[in-house]
Amino acid sequence: MAFKKSDIPGEDIRLAMEMTAKRRQLIDETPATPLVYEYGVNRLAKALHPGFVKAVIAGKAPAGSDCVKIALEPAGGGGFPYFRAGQFVTLSCKAGDSFLSRPYSIISSPKDALEGKLEIMVQRKGIFSTFIIEEAPLGTVLWMGEPSGDFHHDSIRDRGHVVAIAGGSGVTPFLSMMKAIRDGSEDFKLTLIYGARTRAHIPFDPEEFKGDGVDTVVVLSEEEAEGYRHGFITADLLEECIDEDTSVFMCGPDAMYRFVRGELEKIGFDQTLIRSERNSVGDRAVDELKVFKLIVHIRDAVYELDAPNNETLITALERAGIPAVVRCRNGSCGFCHSRVVNGEYFIAAENDFRRSADKKFGYIHPCSTYAESDLEIDIPIMDLEG
Amino acid sequence: MDKYDVIVIGSGNGGLGAACKILNAGKSCLVCEKHNIPGGFATSFVRGRFEFEASLHEFNGIGTDEEPGSTRKVFEELGIADKIEWIQLKDAYHLISEKEGYDYVMPFGAEAFAKESAKLHPDGEKYIKDFLALCKQIREAMGYLSETKGRPDPKVMMEKYPDYLACGSYSVKEGFEALGYPKEIVDNLNAYWCYLGADENNMTFLHYANMINSYITGGAAIPTHRSHEISLACEERIHELGGDIWFNTEVVKILTDADGHVSGVRLKDGREIESRHVIADCSPHVVYGKLMDSEAVPERAVKLTNFRKLAGKGFTVFLGLSKSAEELGITDHNYFIYDSSDNVKQYESMKSLNNTGAQATVCLNNAYPECSPEGTCIVYMTTLFTDDVWSSVSKEDYFKTKNKMAARMIERFEKATGTTIHDCIEEIAIATPETYARYCGHPQGTIYGYESQYYDGLMNRIQMVEEDRFVPGLRIGGGYGERLLGYPSSFKSGVNEAGRTLRDMEKEGR
Repeated sequence: MAFKKSDIPGEDIRLAMEMTAKRRQLIDETPATPLVYEYGVNRLAKALHPGFVKAVIAGKAPAGSDCVKIALEPAGGGGFPYFRAGQFVTLSCKAGDSFLSRPYSIISSPKDALEGKLEIMVQRKGIFSTFIIEEAPLGTVLWMGEPSGDFHHDSIRDRGHVVAIAGGSGVTPFLSMMKAIRDGSEDFKLTLIYGARTRAHIPFDPEEFKGDGVDTVVVLSEEEAEGYRHGFITADLLEECIDEDTSVFMCGPDAMYRFVRGELEKIGFDQTLIRSERNSVGDRAVDELKVFKLIVHIRDAVYELDAPNNETLITALERAGIPAVVRCRNGSCGFCHSRVVNGEYFIAAENDFRRSADKKFGYIHPCSTYAESDLEIDIPIMDLEG
Repeated sequence: MDKYDVIVIGSGNGGLGAACKILNAGKSCLVCEKHNIPGGFATSFVRGRFEFEASLHEFNGIGTDEEPGSTRKVFEELGIADKIEWIQLKDAYHLISEKEGYDYVMPFGAEAFAKESAKLHPDGEKYIKDFLALCKQIREAMGYLSETKGRPDPKVMMEKYPDYLACGSYSVKEGFEALGYPKEIVDNLNAYWCYLGADENNMTFLHYANMINSYITGGAAIPTHRSHEISLACEERIHELGGDIWFNTEVVKILTDADGHVSGVRLKDGREIESRHVIADCSPHVVYGKLMDSEAVPERAVKLTNFRKLAGKGFTVFLGLSKSAEELGITDHNYFIYDSSDNVKQYESMKSLNNTGAQATVCLNNAYPECSPEGTCIVYMTTLFTDDVWSSVSKEDYFKTKNKMAARMIERFEKATGTTIHDCIEEIAIATPETYARYCGHPQGTIYGYESQYYDGLMNRIQMVEEDRFVPGLRIGGGYGERLLGYPSSFKSGVNEAGRTLRDMEKEGR
């Protein structure tokens, strides 16, 4: 025998034989007090990630000529979840025959959210923004997804100084960051470079945040005014603002990203230090407009609808009034992860953030996918009960 | 259809394994998963140009095509083996332990591992060969016990497996004391302790010896497409066999009839689905404490659950680096980095939020170079908290607390390996106990189920598995199951509970 611990013959085996009896006895001796299955960790998880909550439109205020600030309050009082400055929420509701969802960046500081105050910036451009701005009266209740997204400063990944470049409503995540820096919930320096056509298009007050590690520069392309730069966001302006310890964050239209990236390249800025918020995937240009049949399974329910080949699948689902899970609308978050049962589809490489196993087994994110044939998909149910 | 032969709650490894087993037997099965994808911890996520593995460091029991390991055989039986592409790992681990000054790489393979041990101690090779011989007997004894369904012939046990019986009551510490190996050899064999997360006074020797034997002799592998590949392979199989799997679908109640037998489940939206059998791939704390009416839960189920100890709470830093592993000088796939090889002390130090970050760290590119774009690499470092310290962190402090801990772990890795990585972090994600609680609902954010304790170890759990169930029609498998935590264990536990459920159904039919 190779294993021997006790010098008493048979003792090792005797002890082994007693193991279950001892366990049985210990269980007998344990009190039957009510089981605790939720701890601080579980409560914090729920507080930060409650799923969908109901939010009420509490106010609307124009911000420049293109945007409206929408103030939200939690239906039923209390606070909103704490978040990272720079994140967005997705608002969902029934509008006419459609069931629509759209992501909007948060203007507020995370601290405001705890007090039940959350402002978002809505740019006048599509069907949902028209609904929110023009049609939905104050008091309208919407479903709001929990704050999400990874467009925020990270003390480990990012440098201590952020040069933030924005156009249009793309300034919103930076407004939240500037507020968070001011109230101490974030700790980094930020220089905002905002590009607008004229002063009338600016949706915020450039003077409001200056000081305490925050600076703002506004560049007007179609107007010359005192205190404002004129022209575009060019290499020399960037060079002026960038120091040794800089990360560049961009939020605005894709054309702005391409232009600024080119300018940053001219001054030899490290491309891995550039982060840009992704924009929603919209319609695509097609040679020939075709309308395919889309069969959708949600649990054991089956729907049949039309899917034009120039629109994303999520758009087709929304038009048909099917509450379909979606969050980022740009292909990256995976919230709408769905299974293709049958059929052909197209995803542009730049919007394809699927996991490699998803590609292997035929899973898609409907928010960035177009039908290329009749299609049958299985999508997760929208769990609106939070 | 609002009626199934079996309903599986949770699609972690255990739930997926259970569903495949039930469906392969021709029974109908619905899997309810509260998240939007299958897998539980067996998943991955994309950030920028990186796809991070969420939890798997290495999968043990796969073996090779020619010599399949025990888990691959289970995959074959279930019809999922051909759906997964495996990458074999070359080396077992790179152990760095600061206090003793250990810094060496151990290879897989019994011969190679024994040979390498000669560098640690003049008689190292002999010790390892003796140890592996003992492990072989342990493994064979376990095989015999499993074949005889826990009713072995005592004579056979005494004659063929005397060492198995002799070490059956002991902890790892007691076991190695009895074997009398020198410190260098024991410290090396203890390197895997963090995979089970219990210290040497509590970890049972049989279990631990069997696990390291399985690693050393059988090697380990990873799926090419992260662990999400395993989960989707199972999901595909479930569909092939006519099963259903519903996502974003939380079960809020396990229903029982007047006789106390399972009669179905209620979903969060109020819908009820009928079934005489439920297999829960979640913690008994949640099953008995939350999913069942307290009057339907026998007192002893509550006692047993209170008796158990919630194991390590997970913390992982995922890094997408903008330089290659080669450029950074990261040479190995799998690192164990400890302050000291005294795992009792290490376990104690992991109770604090100021945990110095004893870590199991993987550089995925060193096993699978194509896992990230050229000129980049993926590194993820995992540690455990051995106490519920994250419960005291407030909302306002949460993000700062997690970044502080992550920064310490990165610094720890740099110091131990002599590399510099903090200046080329292109993507970072940090999972805290709160994250694990969020996605999988585990109390305290534990990732290791119930911790192996002296009297609540593998063999006791296996022997008492029937005694540990209380509600007719309800079985609990997965990481909280009788085989304890880990990929192969939680998967097989689910498969085993499904096998028992099939036998329950057979008895019912008679």
